[in-house]
Amino acid sequence: MSGRTALAGKEVEDEEHLDVAEPESADEPGRRPRWPRVLGALLAVVLLATGGLLFAEGRELRDTPATGNLALTDAEATTRVTGDVSNALGRIFSYGPDATALAKDAAREVLAGKALQQYAALFGQVEKQAADQKLTLTTHVVRAGVTRLTGTGAHILVFLDQVYERRGRPATTASAQLSVTAELRGERWRIVEISSI
Amino acid sequence: MTLRTRHLGGWAVLLAAALVCGLGAWSYAQARGDRTLAYAKARDTALAQGKRHLATLNSLDGKDATSVSAGLRAWRDSSTGPLHDQLKRTSAADAKTLTTAGDTANGKVTSAALTALDDRTGTAELIATVDVEVTPRTGSPGTQRKRFTAALARTGDGWKVKALTAMAAGDGG
Repeated sequence: MSGRTALAGKEVEDEEHLDVAEPESADEPGRRPRWPRVLGALLAVVLLATGGLLFAEGRELRDTPATGNLALTDAEATTRVTGDVSNALGRIFSYGPDATALAKDAAREVLAGKALQQYAALFGQVEKQAADQKLTLTTHVVRAGVTRLTGTGAHILVFLDQVYERRGRPATTASAQLSVTAELRGERWRIVEISSI
Repeated sequence: MTLRTRHLGGWAVLLAAALVCGLGAWSYAQARGDRTLAYAKARDTALAQGKRHLATLNSLDGKDATSVSAGLRAWRDSSTGPLHDQLKRTSAADAKTLTTAGDTANGKVTSAALTALDDRTGTAELIATVDVEVTPRTGSPGTQRKRFTAALARTGDGWKVKALTAMAAGDGG
């Protein structure tokens, strides 16, 4: 075994000698130059290092929480969720003394989960207040911005103006700011959580 | 191993290295040229810097003339364009009234979102709710809840506030 290895080694040596004798390396007679191999190895190392570095840089550029959030980057979905949520809030928080059923129906349509429970719990009070004080409430969204958006979930900051009209008294306007969590259920966005800021 | 295979092996290693480099460059160029990625990053940067500036613009230490002028300088540093010009123009008068009043305000952004962003022209619109804790020179502190819309502009020194509007009830039309 060891004899053979030695032989193989010898063979290479022989070939090297032969190679040197070839005319293409005739400009440096005696010994085959080492520098092309050294240069080649160096080049390979430099290329590998550059490649690795660029790859790492690219990854670092991509590796950011920014990409997971589609707010504004997906303009269509952003417009859609703000639209759906704004409409929903306007409907569920607008009612007259004899027209609370409309808001209640809307709530069943646009709310889900915790938000629906919260609304249902509050609504008895709302109905009573509307009837007793002859109160008409009109809510509209003045600004809405999406803070976080994924394929199926969204967080939205909403500025509301609410106009309270009590029969026989001048209307008053109050402002409210809500943080809304919405989920895409089927075709439409439904509000699953509302908290006041 | 014959010399020929060694030779070939060398070339193969070099080729592989060149390939790795090429792939790395391609991956980097992809990430660099990704418009959506750049846009998402601009959005997050604008939001973060806008929030910080909004807090600054709602804060002032009214202890003495020095702290007031430092606060006004911070306001100017947080603003650009029309707001900056306005703050600069009124700074002497502001310093006087604010020092006389001696109130200290500490603004904290409780929630914020961008409603628009154009990363090509470097403009954005931000909405935010801010809790401002005001401590009068005499008397007990209180917290004011405010809401703002702010126009942001990208400057050489990051995003800054170009215009600021406090939205009272009914202002939104």
